[in-house]
Amino acid sequence: MLSPKKVKYRKVMKGRMRGAAHRGSSIAFGEYGLKALSCGKMTAQQIEAARITISRTVKRGGQMWIRIFPDKPFTKKPAETRMGSGKGAPEGWVAVIKPGRILYELAGVEPEVAKEALRLAGNKLPFPTKIVELGSTL
Amino acid sequence: MLQVEVAAQVRTKFGKGAARTLRRAGQTPAVVYGKQDSIALELDTHAFTKALLSIHRKNAVINLTITDGKKQNVKHVVTKEIQTDPLLNSVVHADFYEISLDALMVFVVPIRYTGKAKGVDMGGDMMIAKEKLTLKGKALEIPDAVEVNVSALGIGEKMCFADIQLPAGVSMLDAPETVCVSVGTAVAQQG
Repeated sequence: MLSPKKVKYRKVMKGRMRGAAHRGSSIAFGEYGLKALSCGKMTAQQIEAARITISRTVKRGGQMWIRIFPDKPFTKKPAETRMGSGKGAPEGWVAVIKPGRILYELAGVEPEVAKEALRLAGNKLPFPTKIVELGSTL
Repeated sequence: MLQVEVAAQVRTKFGKGAARTLRRAGQTPAVVYGKQDSIALELDTHAFTKALLSIHRKNAVINLTITDGKKQNVKHVVTKEIQTDPLLNSVVHADFYEISLDALMVFVVPIRYTGKAKGVDMGGDMMIAKEKLTLKGKALEIPDAVEVNVSALGIGEKMCFADIQLPAGVSMLDAPETVCVSVGTAVAQQG
């Protein structure tokens, strides 16, 4: 699972997701990409699940790029605990996604296979996505 | 180099509100600048998007026909910045930089490797070190891509920037001794 090697602070504030992704919003490496259409948080587990789906659908050949990284820790209080007594323990890592962000890129595979792999990967994610092609983007 | 024709009108309304009204009406705000004063423009979004897709991240000279009332003026420009909507993939604003076709300019040009190296047939591995080249010359004399034939390369041989043939009137700004492609002995995969 993807996670940072070390961080300055173990716990961070929740934050708000506003605006669109201006960086990382165009295809940079591959021929096909999966683009987020709304904001959300993608956990390291979801990133891994989508990656496995893509690599299993593509089977062999081709190259994949993961354009996001879960660098934000989230915390959780234990079950059946009264409120208060400070912030909970770190539970996992998320990547904050803004609309327009390219999540995965694929190259070197047949167009039908690439689109099917990205469609299935999109189904694993907690926000709507669309498939973009290098030739039809500005 | 690729040449594209784009038509534009001089824009007289400025600001966020006017720009949004323009976009709703199917026009894109733009600006052209260079040695002379800058001119605010408006372009037909559909035609401009088509032109941009035909260029598609390549070097290109745009012949910009600017209509100002009854006057028409043609400027040769290159795109400096294209602002796009990250979600809709539509053009929001365009920056053009006016150039002179007689002046020398610097462009980054991709290298296209053709042929199959002799060394690869003998079991070697071809390693591409450079995929782009910085060239200086008149805009229209700069090629879209520089073709490099690697078929003569045997195992242990390399090709430098100095070995690349360039069109007349075009010079290279990269160090000529830089290795761009080489053929080495195949490394056994572990595991």
